[in-house]
Amino acid sequence: MSKINNQIFSSYDRNPILYDELYDTEGKVKEMYSKLFNLYGEHSKKDYVKLNEKAKASFFNQGITFQVYDKEETKEKIFPFDLFPRIIDPQEWDIIERGAIQRSKALNLFLWDIYHGKKIIKQGIVPMELISSSANYLHQMNGIDPPGGIYNHISGTDVIKHNDGKYYVLEDNIRCPSGVSYVICNRTALKRALFGVFNHYQTHTVTNYAENLLDLLETVKPKGVDVPNVVVITPGMFNSAFYEHSYLAKTMGVELVEGRDLFVENDFVYMKTIRGPKKVDVIYRRIDDAFIDPLEFRPDSSLGVPGLFAAYKKGNVTLANAPGTGVADDKAVYTYMPEIIKYYLNEEPILNNVHTYHCSRPDELKYVLEHIHELVIKPVDEAGGYGISIGNRLTKEEIETVKKQVSENPRKYVAQPIMSLSVHPTYIDDSESFEQRHVDLRTFTVLGKDKEFVLKGGLTRVALQKGNLVVNSSQGGGSKDTWVLK
Amino acid sequence: MLARVANNLFWMGRYIERSEHIARYINVNYFSSLDAPNELSQSRQFVLRSMLFMVGDPEHDETKVLDEEKVLYKIGLDNDYPFSIINNVKYARENANSARDLISTELYEAINKFYHFVLKYDAEAYVKNGLHDFTVNITEMSAILRGKMRGTLLHNEIYAIIMMGVNIERATQIIRMINAKYNDALKSQGSYGDKFSNSFEWTTLLKCAESYDMMRRFYKKTPNSISTLEFLILNPNCPRSIMNSLNQVYKHIKVLDPSKKYNKNSTAFLVGKVRAEYEYKYIKEIEEDIQSFIKDILDNLSEISQKMESEFFNY
Repeated sequence: MSKINNQIFSSYDRNPILYDELYDTEGKVKEMYSKLFNLYGEHSKKDYVKLNEKAKASFFNQGITFQVYDKEETKEKIFPFDLFPRIIDPQEWDIIERGAIQRSKALNLFLWDIYHGKKIIKQGIVPMELISSSANYLHQMNGIDPPGGIYNHISGTDVIKHNDGKYYVLEDNIRCPSGVSYVICNRTALKRALFGVFNHYQTHTVTNYAENLLDLLETVKPKGVDVPNVVVITPGMFNSAFYEHSYLAKTMGVELVEGRDLFVENDFVYMKTIRGPKKVDVIYRRIDDAFIDPLEFRPDSSLGVPGLFAAYKKGNVTLANAPGTGVADDKAVYTYMPEIIKYYLNEEPILNNVHTYHCSRPDELKYVLEHIHELVIKPVDEAGGYGISIGNRLTKEEIETVKKQVSENPRKYVAQPIMSLSVHPTYIDDSESFEQRHVDLRTFTVLGKDKEFVLKGGLTRVALQKGNLVVNSSQGGGSKDTWVLK
Repeated sequence: MLARVANNLFWMGRYIERSEHIARYINVNYFSSLDAPNELSQSRQFVLRSMLFMVGDPEHDETKVLDEEKVLYKIGLDNDYPFSIINNVKYARENANSARDLISTELYEAINKFYHFVLKYDAEAYVKNGLHDFTVNITEMSAILRGKMRGTLLHNEIYAIIMMGVNIERATQIIRMINAKYNDALKSQGSYGDKFSNSFEWTTLLKCAESYDMMRRFYKKTPNSISTLEFLILNPNCPRSIMNSLNQVYKHIKVLDPSKKYNKNSTAFLVGKVRAEYEYKYIKEIEEDIQSFIKDILDNLSEISQKMESEFFNY
């Protein structure tokens, strides 16, 4: 089956302890990957280096970059990507997709409940202090009925494959998760660089995200609106995710606005156009809760729109995602997801949760303090992978520091067993060869009124540092094209 | 479309057009001077002064000896000089960034390539032997951008805004070139028996506007002051002429303001009035007082730009 002289994988150093998605436990290439393996193997190392450089130039030319602010000047860097795609078979994908929808729906019902009757708290399923102590809980949202009843229109579910071969959810991101534009960029880059490989696999498209996003955003238009005017609001072109903001606006065919382009009059939102004011009905926001309206939240915010929240309360404008979703985008609430799913949907969870120890519970706190070397300690409300401590990488002194931090503020931390994230062959520039690197998968789910959509692909994120388990791009990670087979 | 973004697109169009005209001007003047038929036109100092004059930074000290490499660097790649080509390209790209959701992917990618080309150009190579390569690439990439604008954008108000910017800037730059060459022709008369009206500078001017070949086809004679100025100012079929640019501006303002009868305070009214004024001018009356003509047209173009700003871009 496999060629003896597969050039670019010849130096692939396989650690048999790790779950490798390319090789089975006997060291053979898995059938799903065998054609791909052979196709890549036809390239000499020199060819592949050249292809890689061309692909990078393509990203650069397309302006798919983020800005790194230096002392003297702003530098542009491309989001690191790898040209060797990840393949997910249809049966596995079905589980992922159904699981992602299930979690998104459950979270939506949870959000409704905690901003209305709070039944799940009154019945003791979820403790009150988890909600009331969360900085992301917005009392201003109590009693508000968002148009269409949707809070988390856009969700990003982060999934890993453990060394038992099963998928586990690491996190539910429902504060406007980023990364979907890179899904399309990775596909484009791979198509340009190695178009021949697509002849051998039937893979689902990823270019239909924007049309589905717009369709679903239009289903949550305010009452009385016939054809809604949808906009994307961005902090501005110096924001690190601006490429994605403009990409989404362009591909949906809607206006990309900043706070200064909008104003509120009589509790309706308008945008300033060359022909005068035009009413805005649905706002897909890429601005944090605290900044959306200086009259209601941070008074010093110049990114938001004065009076926006009042218009939202009146039901005259839809905000996607709704304010206050951060309370459920919380690593402590995550640990209750199995109960939340059962409570609202009367279903068993389709995707596994990683078992989580709540440091706010005395008996679990005790376990955590005694087993830090086996655990990942996470602050519950930090986004972007910051503040994570991985137990088996800590020195004795560091372990003592973590113990102290957790003891002093247990509510702030959760702990989980160190998961053995699967690895995938990834081309490493420095060594000019493929190496094993840990990966996760961020899925992208959109909820509309009575409709939902999951992009068939998602973003496979790669931890580029050898052995690193943190795949988040702000911590130096990269990404791969992800093929969901038909 | 948003007023703020419209403003950015207008200036994107202007900066792209400006970059190209500066590049063409320094290219043609530098290379045609190498074997120019008259003594002064062949002078390096004369050429360098002309370049600075054209970009709006004339050297007033007649005794100063200009350093060629410094002048070329300043006009081409000096990040600290606001009117340099590199800064015009940066501004164009920055304006495009804020509107990349409105313009096509093809146009944005072309602008981005243009930007990175200029950004990465080696300054040392440029001033020593890269002038031709640099300026020809600027010209060609600008042409690609105009092709992408025309060929990939919906010809709606967004397109109209960009093309207003392009054409107002084009007319402005042609006038600046005419002004620079008029001064050069005055200075160079007397050498080798040349007179003002038959100066070599008129040929140079036409080449700066990429209009020499078509002018020869139209007049079938060596350029002189009257034929050159008539071609570049009044001929509506010369794509680089003032008249053509004004016609384009008028065409595009009607997309933005489709009224049949214009408000007297509107941009469309002003554009129509200015355009009509030049449509019925003839070259003799212009040539009699060229300095007044130049001042008037620059004032008119500036007024149109300001009127657009207040009518469409301000909130």
